[in-house]
Amino acid sequence: MDVALDTLKFIDLTTANIIFLFIVGFIGGLVSGFIGSGGAFVLTPGMMSLGVPGTVAVASNMCHKFPKALVGAIKRFRYGQVDIKLGLVMAASAGVGVQVGIKLQNFILDKWGQSGSNLYVSLSFVAVLVIVGGYVFYDAMTADKSGKPEAVAPLALRLQKIELWPMMTFKTAGVRISMWFTVPVGFATGMLAATIAVGGFIGVPGMIYVIGASGLVASATELVIAFAMGLGGTINWAMHGMVDIRLTVIILAGSLLGVQLGAIGTTIVKESLIKFVMGSIMLIVAVSRALAVPKYLAELGLLDVAPGTVAIMDKASFLIMCGALLMGAVIILGSMYKARKAHARQEQEAFGQA
Amino acid sequence: MAHEMTKKQAVVRMIGFGAASAAVFGGIFLFANPLTEIFSRGGMYAALPIATVFLVSYVHGGFASNLWTALGITAKQPAKTLRPTATKRPEVRATLNA
Repeated sequence: MDVALDTLKFIDLTTANIIFLFIVGFIGGLVSGFIGSGGAFVLTPGMMSLGVPGTVAVASNMCHKFPKALVGAIKRFRYGQVDIKLGLVMAASAGVGVQVGIKLQNFILDKWGQSGSNLYVSLSFVAVLVIVGGYVFYDAMTADKSGKPEAVAPLALRLQKIELWPMMTFKTAGVRISMWFTVPVGFATGMLAATIAVGGFIGVPGMIYVIGASGLVASATELVIAFAMGLGGTINWAMHGMVDIRLTVIILAGSLLGVQLGAIGTTIVKESLIKFVMGSIMLIVAVSRALAVPKYLAELGLLDVAPGTVAIMDKASFLIMCGALLMGAVIILGSMYKARKAHARQEQEAFGQA
Repeated sequence: MAHEMTKKQAVVRMIGFGAASAAVFGGIFLFANPLTEIFSRGGMYAALPIATVFLVSYVHGGFASNLWTALGITAKQPAKTLRPTATKRPEVRATLNA
């Protein structure tokens, strides 16, 4: 049975395309399994660079994201790292944030057109990633490397002491905090997800520094949020017929291998490495997005840039983004290898002494 | 917590899940064009891609999990020490204001 596909919507799959999507899926999955999010920021533009229309790329990416997050969340739940209640509260408030984020996007699109909207997205990307990513990176660098459990962030400790009804207790996270401090973090996650498609870059730091969860619990709980939001988004996109199931299952084939390896990695390496990987990726992605800003400024007539320069900056922006993901994967795999080697050496020494 | 799986058990399960996974992927790509067309009709057809990714995540996820176990890549310590709640719920005591 042969059916001709709408070539405007669906690309022809070549072996090179399949290998590219599988590898990016694997690396994206590995990083998400470890830090709770990541991959989407490379996969969507990556698919678009293969000729996939933007909406189909977003829809197919989202359709692979929620089952990947589900598998990762189940794996990390078995390790006792997932706070389901916190994840569901965050997901519900993020759902509202997404709707507000979409409304804001449409308002900007109506007022300043496509270039204005792109500029808003890029500037939000850069601002959030530099401020939040910079703080996460600083925290990781100054963290206690002795392997002791992380201390609760000072802001979170202060907020936890404020008895503002209704108070919520999150047992796995070990947190009791007012709903009025929890919901805004979820809301901001949703707003960012609607704007830059990577809500986890605010969700995970928010859970660590505002709510007071550990990096381990925050990154694991983010997978619950990603599942709930990804499922909701997929239902919407699939009802508009935008999912290319071939692309989705190829990415899923790679990412299901990666997400489980990343989840295993969290039990092997030091806890502070989660923050280190997250902060590094956020800062590099910020550089990548900053390179896209002059193009949109030129389109709005606010800056003079030669078209050749814009093309080079576009390519550099995409390559730097791929580099960020690849660097994250190398750090995770390298640290897992080192930690396993050290563990094997300890076991051998213990065996020798016995 | 489930019991620790031996490498031999993991290999057997990996082969089983791997065969199921290969069958699902084979089926999808054997009928790639008609399936892509049907799955992108929108409306109630939205259930089809969603059901498919759930199926793929079960069979391929099972394969992936057992593959890492068979290769000896397993979690070091299930359930790291989680910190206790920093602030406790204030105790409610009955008081007599006489």
